[in-house]
Amino acid sequence: MEIALIGNPNTGKTSLFNNLTGSYEYVGNWSGVTVEKKVGVFKKNLGHLIDLPGVYTLNPLSKDEGVVTSFFLNESVDRLLNILDASQLERNLHLTLQLLEFEKPALIGLNMIDVANKRGIQIDYMKLSEILGVSVVPVVARSGKGCDKLVDVIGAKSIQPTKKNLTYYGKELEEAITAFSGELTGKTNHSLRFLAVQYFEGNEYVKNYVNGLTNPQKLKAIMEKLESELQKQTDFKSLTNFIYLKRKEVIEKIIAEVARKSDTVIPLSEKIDSIVTNRYLGMPIFLLLMYFMFMLTFDWLGTPLSDVLDAFLTGPVTAGFEKVLGAIHASAFIHALIIEGLVAGVGGVLVFVPQIFILFFFISLLEDSGYMARVALVMDRIMESVGLNGKAFIPMMIGFGCNVPGIMAARTIETPRERLLTILLTPLMSCSARLPVYALFVGAFFAAHKAFVVLSLYVLGIVVALVLAKVFSTTLLKSETSLFVIELPPYRLPQFQSLWKSTWDKGKGFVRKAGTFIFAGSVFIWLLSYAGPKGLNVDMDHSFLAAIGNIIAPIFDPIGFGTWQASASLITGFLAKEAIISTMNIIYFVPNDAGLQALLAHYYTPLAAYSFMVFILLYIPCLATVATIYKETNSKKWTAFSMIYAFVIAYVLSLIIYQGGMLLGIG
Amino acid sequence: MIANIIIGAAIFGYATWALVKFINKSKKGKCAACELKNSCSSQCGLPPNINE
Amino acid sequence: MFGSLKTGDKGKILDLSHVGHLVQRRLLDLGITEGSEVCVKCVMPFGGPIMIESCGQCVGIRRKEAVQIEVERI
Repeated sequence: MEIALIGNPNTGKTSLFNNLTGSYEYVGNWSGVTVEKKVGVFKKNLGHLIDLPGVYTLNPLSKDEGVVTSFFLNESVDRLLNILDASQLERNLHLTLQLLEFEKPALIGLNMIDVANKRGIQIDYMKLSEILGVSVVPVVARSGKGCDKLVDVIGAKSIQPTKKNLTYYGKELEEAITAFSGELTGKTNHSLRFLAVQYFEGNEYVKNYVNGLTNPQKLKAIMEKLESELQKQTDFKSLTNFIYLKRKEVIEKIIAEVARKSDTVIPLSEKIDSIVTNRYLGMPIFLLLMYFMFMLTFDWLGTPLSDVLDAFLTGPVTAGFEKVLGAIHASAFIHALIIEGLVAGVGGVLVFVPQIFILFFFISLLEDSGYMARVALVMDRIMESVGLNGKAFIPMMIGFGCNVPGIMAARTIETPRERLLTILLTPLMSCSARLPVYALFVGAFFAAHKAFVVLSLYVLGIVVALVLAKVFSTTLLKSETSLFVIELPPYRLPQFQSLWKSTWDKGKGFVRKAGTFIFAGSVFIWLLSYAGPKGLNVDMDHSFLAAIGNIIAPIFDPIGFGTWQASASLITGFLAKEAIISTMNIIYFVPNDAGLQALLAHYYTPLAAYSFMVFILLYIPCLATVATIYKETNSKKWTAFSMIYAFVIAYVLSLIIYQGGMLLGIG
Repeated sequence: MIANIIIGAAIFGYATWALVKFINKSKKGKCAACELKNSCSSQCGLPPNINE
Repeated sequence: MFGSLKTGDKGKILDLSHVGHLVQRRLLDLGITEGSEVCVKCVMPFGGPIMIESCGQCVGIRRKEAVQIEVERI
């Protein structure tokens, strides 16, 4: 049995989907668009649950929305599960009325009754069920309440809607529907009424579909006759508008019978918003929150925890390995491989787990609470002045955790040009994988001003992004259209469990990378540093790694780090930014961090160190990010551009900083 | 002696496999949190607002 | 005119036809159309966007779109 889950955006479909399915059957993309197609296995093995993108109407505005209409026209579906937001019933019912015209077995999940109640809205769901002619099951998808009942009802023998023609469109339109249906009788299995109304509404997808079934001229004639008849009425604007208003009438009648509202409740959301989006306080509050987040991650909580982890790894863990290796009389080769390769490489990355998780926790908190949308509102003015959209701020914020989901989040931006610009600029947001490098160098060279220097790097990334946005939007990516309409859903207090799950979902990628790629990378880097043209256990300056590094090292001379060590690290950084630190830890192997930092002072001056960090901030997105850019833009040209411009900008800025600093006598 | 060979083989074997797998996944644009199968349980951190 | 409304003002929409087509469509989707009663929740500084509320639904739109909406003060 194929069940389609359909509803407005922001109605809790994802939560409901998770509650109704045991596991995934398929996750991919609908062809030709970037919207994800999710198919899950319905509980109790009832069949498949297909998660359709959130839409407000079956008459689509964009290609992404067209996916739903396309689905209904071309794919088979047995049951419709329409999810409604009880606190926005009036808006949601427009879609419902269209779905019911489709005349397939259907069922309604009335979600967010808790939100409605908080707003003083009570819905008589039994009455609603009676009026609409389908079962209505109240649920709270976030907690899972009511979902069992839903599963039961879906599985029931027959849930065919009992009422036809809920919306009476007036004499002229009804006659036109009959005429239209007459042309299509026997030519399709779909509800003719549905096709007629959608056609009159201007649904391009339906139009193409029915034109393929019968004489398009006849259908067009029916519509034109209808329009000319209706034009005689006052207030007639267009067929689309006419149909919308007829539905609105029906909905208002339904609401009157079904919903009770007590006016005096001011939702907590609005109270919070009056402060957070206040004209004067909005931006300062946001900046304060960012500062707070930053300090917790790097200064107050993150670094102390990280130091503890580091002491643990370089102390007991290393000692433990030493003991075991000694006990089994492991060879020098194996000993070096494990201690100087693995523990150094993987350990060097693992120590940052505390900071990474704190960062991801805050990002999850901002997302789940609904504050992100407010950020888009507060930041829009600035974004607009550089040719971006306030909505672009969200992908960028996410990019601070990891660029890959950040770039995917750009899908919410409707205009192609703004979306492309956002995708190109998100990699400039300093992702969490670059953190370890900063931490290392900052600890070695700028110990007294750790947080400040790291902050300067993050800010630099943002400033470069804004400047480039302005440059790109006035040269390469010029366009007039921009759409900024953002829905601000009510605030939610995120439940700790779902917050933890969100955080873990994001953070586990980091840990998993450490256990796989970093592990592998460390092994091979170590091997390349251990072996050379002359044999094994060579002096590192004569190893294969040095040879490879030396080939490109001269490029980096003008910017302060023309050493093979830096070059080799940067090469590995393309595959994963954390690898830079692993490589450095292996190359400059010293038993503990303090020793490493002292060693670095031999190879870098503070100026060179800062130049290096700036280079790493900007130079090229990692492999996964590049692949994501390609997937989201579907353009080799732009993907290549994103790699090249990043390198150029990184080089130019490092050059300015290093040479400029030398000139000023800082170096 | 045997222990050395076994440990060495295990480490290099796993490392090669992990490297190949990682590069393949990265080329598909999946962030490291995704499991191997076609399904991605974390949606790579898409914010809850998108197409809910 | 919408542009001169301040925070807390309530109005009834009279005419949306001068607003950009895409924006009009999005607003319609969110249930905001001719005849809707809206309340201005906040106005961002420096010509930034405004937040309006209609039927419990809060939406943010740009100032230059908002000034195109004809509103009757309530």
